[in-house]
Amino acid sequence: MIDRVEVPEPDDPEAALAAVVALRRLANQLERAAVAHALRDGWTWAQIGQALGVSAQAAHKKLAPKKGA
Amino acid sequence: MALLHALKDVRTIKTLLTRAGAEAVRSGDDLPGPEHLLLSALALPDGTAAAAFTHLGVDPGDFRTAVDRTHRDALDHLGLTVGDGLDDLPGADTPAGPYRMTASGQQAFQRAVTLSKETKPSLLRAAHIVIAVCEQGRGTVARALQTQGIDRIHLAAAAREALATP
Repeated sequence: MIDRVEVPEPDDPEAALAAVVALRRLANQLERAAVAHALRDGWTWAQIGQALGVSAQAAHKKLAPKKGA
Repeated sequence: MALLHALKDVRTIKTLLTRAGAEAVRSGDDLPGPEHLLLSALALPDGTAAAAFTHLGVDPGDFRTAVDRTHRDALDHLGLTVGDGLDDLPGADTPAGPYRMTASGQQAFQRAVTLSKETKPSLLRAAHIVIAVCEQGRGTVARALQTQGIDRIHLAAAAREALATP
């Protein structure tokens, strides 16, 4: 899936900062998708919180699926 | 009349910010920023944001694709290819409570409000958001417009024209 990750040269801040924004967004997307799978697999919010290094309440507040979804 | 305008303004702002928040949630961003404000503005019923894009011969609906492509291009630059597995994110609730935005989102919104006070009637319209985000030379909106071949100065001019058109 990932062949290699090359940190952009610091002399190209435009590209490097755009990459930072895109990586943050990607991390959020991956987090939300993975939590949805974990919930389907029967994980509790306490377990999800542990895996993410946050409290169960914090994980639930940020990542609970949309009501009715 | 002033009261009616004020009420209309409040409704527009509420719709704009609520939709911008939903756009941020949809795309997995923590908080809405200028690109989400613009996406939200493109759907506002006054139609002036969409008219600015159309005036330049660009489909307003293409901006969303341009934002996604901008982020993918930035990851490509790292040699990081993202598959299609994250395209359909599970839904999430838009955070309740006071509207929160990124610093650049707040800056764009406040600038749009200032611009709206300079026009008669002093109502916030979608094109004010277009002008405000076009003034930001860095960031996702600037990069996305660039990938679309859109000059920000031309888009802002088209937005001013849309505002002047009855």
